[in-house]
Order: sequence, then structure tokens, then C-alpha cells
Amino acid sequence: MEYAIFFVFAAIAVVFALLVVLHRNPVVGALSLVASFFALAVMYVLLEAPFLAALQIIVYAGAIMVLFLFVIMLLNLQHMAEPATRPVQQFLSYTSSAAFAIGLIYYLLKYAVFEALPSGFFAADARTVGIRMFEAYVFPFEMVSILLLAAIVGALTLSGRMTGSREKVPAPEQPGVEAR
Amino acid sequence: MIPTHYFLILSAILFTIGVMGVLTRKNGITIFMCIELMVNAVNLTFLAYARQFHDVHGVIFVFFIMAIAAAEAAVGLAIFISLFHHRDTIDVDEANLMHW
Amino acid sequence: MAFDLTDILLSILKIAIILGIWLNVTPIMVWVERRGSALIQDRPGPNRVGPLGLLQSFADALKFIMKEDIIPAKAHKWLYTLAPTFGLLPAITTIAVVPWGRSFTIPEMHLFGRTLFEGGRWFNPIVADVSAGILVIFALASLGVYGITIAGWASANKYAMFGAIRASAQMISYELSLTLAAVSVLLVAGSLRLTEVVAQQTNYYFVLFDFIKLPAWNVLSPAMWLSFIVFTVSAFAETNRLPFDFAEAEAELVAGYHTEYSSMKFALFFMAEYMAMATMSALITTLYLGGWDIPWYNEPATFLGFLLSFAAFLVKMGFLLFVFVWVRWTIPRLKYDILMRLGWKVFLPMAFINIVIVAAFIAARWI
Repeated sequence: MEYAIFFVFAAIAVVFALLVVLHRNPVVGALSLVASFFALAVMYVLLEAPFLAALQIIVYAGAIMVLFLFVIMLLNLQHMAEPATRPVQQFLSYTSSAAFAIGLIYYLLKYAVFEALPSGFFAADARTVGIRMFEAYVFPFEMVSILLLAAIVGALTLSGRMTGSREKVPAPEQPGVEAR
Repeated sequence: MIPTHYFLILSAILFTIGVMGVLTRKNGITIFMCIELMVNAVNLTFLAYARQFHDVHGVIFVFFIMAIAAAEAAVGLAIFISLFHHRDTIDVDEANLMHW
Repeated sequence: MAFDLTDILLSILKIAIILGIWLNVTPIMVWVERRGSALIQDRPGPNRVGPLGLLQSFADALKFIMKEDIIPAKAHKWLYTLAPTFGLLPAITTIAVVPWGRSFTIPEMHLFGRTLFEGGRWFNPIVADVSAGILVIFALASLGVYGITIAGWASANKYAMFGAIRASAQMISYELSLTLAAVSVLLVAGSLRLTEVVAQQTNYYFVLFDFIKLPAWNVLSPAMWLSFIVFTVSAFAETNRLPFDFAEAEAELVAGYHTEYSSMKFALFFMAEYMAMATMSALITTLYLGGWDIPWYNEPATFLGFLLSFAAFLVKMGFLLFVFVWVRWTIPRLKYDILMRLGWKVFLPMAFINIVIVAAFIAARWI
């Protein structure tokens, strides 16, 4: 039963990841990546980490990909014709990545030693992670929040939307009310 | 219980697809999406091993990776927006002012 | 993993009950909305089709089914058709983790010569009692943004695109205050599961003279009043209801992100909006109004107790749905920049302040 779920969602993840790489329209690529992240969240549930599965959907599929989609739509990038990659580059990249994948999987299956999974309940829920986060890892936790602040400031600076950089246009008077 | 190497193989396949995308595509946003795909493949590996050894450190690492990937996405997209404002294109081959 | 048949059948029954109610929310709410708004606006409302206009929803559904389905020429066909289902996804799936009744023991029954439920079987009326309960709701609700964004973009219409960008920016802004307001409640309950949130609210805050008891509903606790206000207002903003429906304002942007949609696709958006309203009402009752708890009455763990608690849940949810309709015709629509300013500069700090207040109360052992 679990194997069925695993194979179905692994197939979904791989198919939509291929769609991201191969489709020419970036909006379809972004939505396929969302579907791929959703399938990965199901994988995380199979790995007994439902807290992280929910976080994956909240953070990746629900926030980061929305950001991607906004940028693609607001910059109107779907109409931009992407020039074709040179055939030499395509051939080399496909063959080298295929060789990389085959080598990786082969050596993984040949040399990795896996003991049986330990029995007992693996606690990866919010309570365990939260306790660790505020006891052992409180310093990285605070550093990450400062990093996020730096990212916000950086993103605002780079996209040129600092307050005061544009002259303020006074809003015209609004006559009448909004009729319903 | 699904053995761990199933997840590791899936992670390897997703990582390779991401690498393929980064090497092949010219649209900057698509390259960035393939980078996110690679990061997620690594997340899957971390969680597979966390379950294998019943160690919560893997889970915490994934937590931090998600936060950092979010910050990276924000800044990276801001860079792309400013590149677009200057060059009117997202083709990464056009970002060649420092080329020899 | 061994599954036994009774588990599977009971799960299917739970899903059927919940889906049955949720899919029927739309016709009922259409009638409530139209008659309720007519009542508030001192006019009759629909009264031609059936007694009191009760069959109006059927007439509307028939109209939707028989309308011509138009797809604009420049629209991206696949995404245009897929967008309403994206909107429906959070509305239907998030209700899976909300408990809608008291859990009870199904007694042993002897039917058709066989003994069913030997030794009694514990029935927990929640479709999926996962350990990351409320996070699933936030996760799936954040996927609702895609429905609006893709609908606006795939319509190839600049008004639809504007409406979509505004609506999705509004939704992602108010998602933050929604989540943080719920964190205050979770701090008190001590768990992410909604069953434990409701179980904590079945107690009483204080007992005077053995009969004056204040039920421990979160809305009655002063530490959580701010988060109740923030959560309710953010629920309005999340479902794009007045006073936050600038994105689909009929007078300003034609119809916002669903301008180019007709017949069944528009009906799907319509249904998704009402189902999201129902889900938000269910969530507000679970987090703040005590869920299925009937105050001052200890429901026994039997089928009768379950029915009473289910009825209480539906009554509370129905009251909140009426409040949705009531507010629609009471408060004027907020202008978009004021709406965004409220979300970021007023509600988000209020939610943070409430978390600090609740944490202080817990530290001082007043909760």
C-alpha cells in the first residue's frame, strides 16, 4: 500500500520536474514545479515527517512559487521567445547529466550499507523540532531570522523600490461614492 | 516501511533533472526553478537519512534549508528583476558585461 | 500495514458525510445570502421559485449548466480550464482536519445474524487526525492563491490580470495574520491538533458556587480577544468577501479575476468562494467558539451525545456564515491601499502582540 503511494507520487514528481526543464512556457514550468513540490510533500509524509510536509507546502509551494509566478507574470516573460540552445551544449549537458545520474545510482546501490530501520516512533513533530530549535539551535535560529531580514532589505534595494526614490504624486480628489 | 534507498534514488533522479535544466536552459527564471528543484532533492535525502537513523538533526537541517532557500529566492528574483530593467531580457547569455 | 475493513468503511462514511455537507453549502448559502441581504436592505428578495424562494438555488444551478461555455481566443486553454479547480482544492480539502462532533463509542450491534463492532468501536468524527493538524489547513489554504492568479493570467484580459494580482497580493498578506492569530490559540492548547484545541475548550474557566461556570471558550478569554478579531477579519480577507473584495468589485474592475469565466467554470469559482467561507466559519468555531462543545452540558460519549455536538457545531457555523452575509451589507468596501496597509501595519502587529500577551498569561499561570 505504501509502495503504491510511493511509486505514484514519485512518478508525479519526476514527470513534473521534467516538464519544468523541457517546457518552453515559464508559467507552465512554475506550476509544474508546484505539482512536483506537492508530490515531494507526500514523500515527506511517507518519511514520517508530517510537520515538514506541511511546511514544504506552506513555504515552497505557497510562498516561494507564488513569488516566482508573480515575477513571471508582472515582467510578462511568457511572451519572450527563448533562443534555442546550441546543439553542442544540449548534447553535452544531456549526456553528462545522464552519466552523472547513472553513476550516482549505481555506486549508491553498490556501496551503501543500510541497516534495517530502527523500530519505534520517530518524533519529527512540531514539539520536538521546537524544543531543539530553542535549546540547542537557538543561535542558528536567530541568525536565520537576521538573514531573512537582510534578504528583505536586499530584495527591496535591488528591485529599486526604496521609499523616497520616486517623487510623490498627489492623489486626485475622489468625487462621489463607489456605487454598489 | 519503504527502504531508504528508494528515496535516495528518487532524490538522485530529481537532482539530475535539476542539473540538466541548469545546463540546458537559457531563461534565467527557469534556471532558478531548476536550482530550487536541486535543493528539494537534497532535502529529501536529508529526511531519508533522518528517518533511517531516527535522528532529528536531519529534520532541523531541512527546516533551516527551507528558510534559507526562501531568502535566496527573494534576493535572486530581485536580481533578475533589476537585470530585466537594464537589459530588457532574461536570457542569461545576455548578462555578459564582465565577459572577456 | 494491515488495514481492517471497518476502518476503511468508517473513513469512507466520514468523508461522505463531510463532502455531502460541504457540497450542499453553496445552494443553501446562495439562498441565505440573497434572502438575508434582502432582509437587511428592506426588499423582498427572490420569492418566485418555490415557497420563500427556496428553490432559487436550483434555478441558478440550471442556468449555470445550460449557459454557453466560452473560452477567449487568446486564453491559455489548459490553465484557463484548470484554474477553477485550483480554487476548489483548498475549500474541499482543508475541512479534513476539523473535528465536527464528539468522539463516541459505537455500541456492539447484532444485525443480520452477525455481530458488528464487537466490544464497541471508538469513532472519532474527524476525517484525518494528523499530528500537524492546523498546519495542513494553512498549507492547503495557501494553495488557493494559485487559483486566482492563474485565472487572471490565463484569461488574457488586463482587467482580469489586475484583479488577480490584487486579490492574490491581498490573500498572501492576510495569510500571515491568519496564521499568527491562530498561533495564540495553539499556545494555549499546547498542540497543533484541532481535536486537542476543542478538548481544551470543553473545560470551564472558573467555577463559582458550583453552578456559575464560564466555559473555557477561547473567545471568552481576554488574552485572545485581539487574536479573535484578527482571525475573523483575516478570514474575511482570505475568502475575498466584503469589506475586502476589491479584487472582484463589480463596479471597479468589471468582475476582477473571473471576468472572462462563464457557465460551469464561473459556477466552480462561486462554489469555491462559498465553500471557503464555510471552511473559515468551521475554523473560527473550532478555534474560538469551542468547536462542537455545548456549554454547561457534559455530552456523553454515545451516539446521542455525538448528534447533539454535531448539531451544536452546525449551529455555530451557521451563525458565523450569517455574520459573513451580515457584514457584507453593513461595512463599505475598503480601498485597496487601505486594505493592504491594514493587513501589514495593523493586523500583523496585533497578532504578534497577542502572542506575547498569551505567552505572558501562560508564564504567569493565569491560563
